[in-house]
Amino acid sequence: MIDPEVIVIGGGPAGIAAAIEVAGCGYAVEVVEQRDSLGGAIHRQPIKGVAPISQASGPKARWRALSDDFASARIPVRYRSIFLGVDADGLVLFENRLACSVERLQAKAVIVATGAVEKVLPRPGWHMAKVSTAGGLQVMMKETGRAPKGRVLLAGNGPLLIAVTAQMARLGNPPVAIVEAGDPLGRTGAGFSMLGHMSLVREAFGYLRTIYLRGIPWMRASQLTAIERDDTSLIAVVRRANGREQRIPVDRIGLHDGIRPNDFALPNEKATSVAGPVILRAGDCRESLGAFAAEADGRRAGRAVAEILSGGHERADLGCVKIERARRAQEVLSTLFAPVGGACPISSLPADTILCRCEGKTVGDLRSLCERADRLTGREIKHNGRFAMGLCQGRFCAANTAALMAEIWPQAPAPVAEDLTGRRWPIRPVSIAALTGARATSTEHE
Amino acid sequence: MTSRAFGWMGQCIPFRDGETVASALETAGVYTLGADALGQETRYFCGIGACQCCLVRIDGVVREACITPARSEMTVETMEVRRD
Repeated sequence: MIDPEVIVIGGGPAGIAAAIEVAGCGYAVEVVEQRDSLGGAIHRQPIKGVAPISQASGPKARWRALSDDFASARIPVRYRSIFLGVDADGLVLFENRLACSVERLQAKAVIVATGAVEKVLPRPGWHMAKVSTAGGLQVMMKETGRAPKGRVLLAGNGPLLIAVTAQMARLGNPPVAIVEAGDPLGRTGAGFSMLGHMSLVREAFGYLRTIYLRGIPWMRASQLTAIERDDTSLIAVVRRANGREQRIPVDRIGLHDGIRPNDFALPNEKATSVAGPVILRAGDCRESLGAFAAEADGRRAGRAVAEILSGGHERADLGCVKIERARRAQEVLSTLFAPVGGACPISSLPADTILCRCEGKTVGDLRSLCERADRLTGREIKHNGRFAMGLCQGRFCAANTAALMAEIWPQAPAPVAEDLTGRRWPIRPVSIAALTGARATSTEHE
Repeated sequence: MTSRAFGWMGQCIPFRDGETVASALETAGVYTLGADALGQETRYFCGIGACQCCLVRIDGVVREACITPARSEMTVETMEVRRD
């Protein structure tokens, strides 16, 4: 096998679109995908014999067109392969989960399209079993064609919660309630701005119609303040808009407080193939704007790589209009869904609230680290306190930890997630045995 | 639709073709995937291989249940089960 000239990491809309563009410019390209099917989280494919979950007609048609184009371009895909990083020699490393081995590829360019991760704000009890992200419940529904069982409560912030609600309802088990920190119906100004984005309005209307017809409580301006449990149930403790507390027994909770780029430990972008491959990012891992923008951004990155490899320069204007439009739509959505009364400060949480689940580190642990006279850097908070040190490599705690550090030290420059996580491979856990056995997948460069 | 099964802690977990280990376990009513190295309970969380909360041992190898397709010859165990 000959190493491809360009490697695309991730088989979602951004990666697929990028690969199509690169192939169209005459370069040999391969896609590395962690699962055994394409689509990413947004277009997670149903298993055999299961009907695809209902989706708005626009996104559905766009994915069909994109996957048809990809199929006719005959681009090879390495399924069940986990991207680990680009090493000091510029080799692209990934773990082949089928062969249980780490493989290396030499390429002229790498386009990283690893998508987004959900933001989940810490709340007492968020780390317990039967609590998942709302997106986690959603991808499982897309895969199995079944709604999560029992009494399900969705909580947090943002439009994904109503999308998941509508999909659960259509599969026969609507959530018992949606707890939403914002109050989109109360923000008429932003509501009018939505009219500039009719496809989003149509999609939202479809979801809200289902929610209204089924009588699902959409508790706006409300917060899930804690999750407790008794012998049989989880107890969702909800603070309603009027300040009253409500305790709702449920079987399952889906949390979601927005999305952010899954850019943890990714190699930096590099617009030249001198000393290692060109590295560009595409889609939600560059800027989380959703599938529509991800596809446009994938095309932009694909064309940019082809330009650079053919000796030209990256043109920043490519695909800009669609991305700018999606950025404006996201801005309108975040105004519309802005938490009522502002974001709840993490410093107001009980000391034993888990901040970093992998390492079991709490709000109180971080407070005591921050009480020291010599102020610790993000990196020191990681090394001394083990925050963002665990297996998820800070994907679910680094931003929250940085936010609490900023609340504790309001005078200091606000730390960011990357201050804790750093930027080094392997970007996903891999066994040392597999890593030390790394081999080139072709004989060409041996 | 074919229905097959894999082993989980002495139980037989049926799954449908193409399904992940995580969704087969969820369908079977298994919501806790044992304790991690710190003794905390693990569970399905993000569904995209990012959070590492659903790690299990599949034929002795540590894997994310949410991105690993189920196979009938598999033995899936909690992380607590050590085989050295």
